[in-house]
Amino acid sequence: MQSPIRKLVGAAACAILLALSSCASLQHGWDQGSVTMVADLINSGKSAELASMSGSPFLVDGEVVPLKADVAGFWTGIVKAGYKVQGPQLGMTAPATPDSYKQFADTMEVRAFFKNYVKKDTRLLELKTSGGTTVLLLIKDSLFSKKIIQGFKGPF
Amino acid sequence: MNRTIAFSAVFLLAAWAAFAVPADITYTEGDATLKLKNGKQQDAQIGDKMNTGDTLKTGSDGLAELSQAGVTVKISSGTVFTLMERDVNGKTQTVMSTALGSIKYKYGKLSGSEPAIRTNGAIAGVRGTEFTVFAGADGSSLITVDSGEVDVQSGGKTVQLTAAQGTEVPLGKPPGDPIPIKSDQIDYSKWNQDKLDSMLADPVGTMATLQDALDNYARDVADYYGQYLVSKKQLDEVVKTAAQIFKEKGQDEATKYQQEFYYPLTHQAGALVLNYRYNALAALSLRTYVTGRMYLALKARYILNPDDPVWTDFLGRYNAFLSTFEQSISPQLVDADI
Repeated sequence: MQSPIRKLVGAAACAILLALSSCASLQHGWDQGSVTMVADLINSGKSAELASMSGSPFLVDGEVVPLKADVAGFWTGIVKAGYKVQGPQLGMTAPATPDSYKQFADTMEVRAFFKNYVKKDTRLLELKTSGGTTVLLLIKDSLFSKKIIQGFKGPF
Repeated sequence: MNRTIAFSAVFLLAAWAAFAVPADITYTEGDATLKLKNGKQQDAQIGDKMNTGDTLKTGSDGLAELSQAGVTVKISSGTVFTLMERDVNGKTQTVMSTALGSIKYKYGKLSGSEPAIRTNGAIAGVRGTEFTVFAGADGSSLITVDSGEVDVQSGGKTVQLTAAQGTEVPLGKPPGDPIPIKSDQIDYSKWNQDKLDSMLADPVGTMATLQDALDNYARDVADYYGQYLVSKKQLDEVVKTAAQIFKEKGQDEATKYQQEFYYPLTHQAGALVLNYRYNALAALSLRTYVTGRMYLALKARYILNPDDPVWTDFLGRYNAFLSTFEQSISPQLVDADI
């Protein structure tokens, strides 16, 4: 027979575990939603929408892009080239940290980009395609900002 | 050790920059962003001050106008303008830099110490009152004079322009001979598109030109930085000696020694910091607004054909350029420059 205190501790532990697993699944849902949204916008050729959702400065591979017009030009360019993200699946996910620069390029500029412009609520998300390629996205996890895409690397 | 040197250099530069004249932002329209020297970005507003090291960027619907010591600077849309400084023969000179886009300059009265005007490919000394600078996607420049005279320098050659004349300066090449032209005859969009098209038609050739330009900056950075380290070492010795003189002979003798040796050396070291930083920032401008934009355009073009030899050949040159930049220029930049 368990004591009432033991029962209470057990119930609290279960509640914490449940809350943690809910948070994890909520985060997974956010991440999944983010990559699906970016993939859908690319596949439907909505470059203007992609541009309006992109932050400034923006990171493409190892390039810190300071001009909004160039970011818009990049999205327009890849859409015009016929680039599609076939069968998008969420791969690796991780919170972006100041050390995440290595995932894009190990240079002073990219290191400074992560230090200066990437906030704590930003996620590194891998977008896997059915063709076997990967795109790395830097996505700000925010309900209140429209400019959530901060970086794009790939396909590789 | 390096960190100590960097801090000392920044201090010397800060002391130097205290004498710089800021520009007043007198008009803005549409998208106009001010990136401050400390790295922060804000919408440019009328009444804002633009200091040395600050950059003003206008979007496709943006315009801005500045005023600095009798000079009016009209910044067109799609332009990147930076206020810089360098040391020329012991004197600090303001440099107004156009990395991309077009800017019209109008001088109320010439004082004899006008700021120099630079693009990624040329530097112009002003003896005129009204002229326009166009900076192209490939790093080339077009300078047209409406009134007065302007000397345009590049590749060791100077071309003097008078009213209703202009010259085009390809990156890394001397200015062309003066041609009769007025600024209102130039369609910047078309001119710039032609530059972009020719750059993308020969990515490998363009990268070779960019590499040469970067190598020149790298040499200048290394030269000024090397001289700075020597100067800094001398300065450290002078400080030690001054302390010794103070201890042995008192304040008056130490002050006399400082005036004779410390202040001239501080001045010299400050000028060297200004110049290696000036060259490093000029290289960053080339890297960001010419090489970086070229990479983006080509990446989009070849995203479905990553094995195309045009793309892979370009990447080889591009990676070599980045390697030079990372080794020779990045150590003299700070996070806020990015």
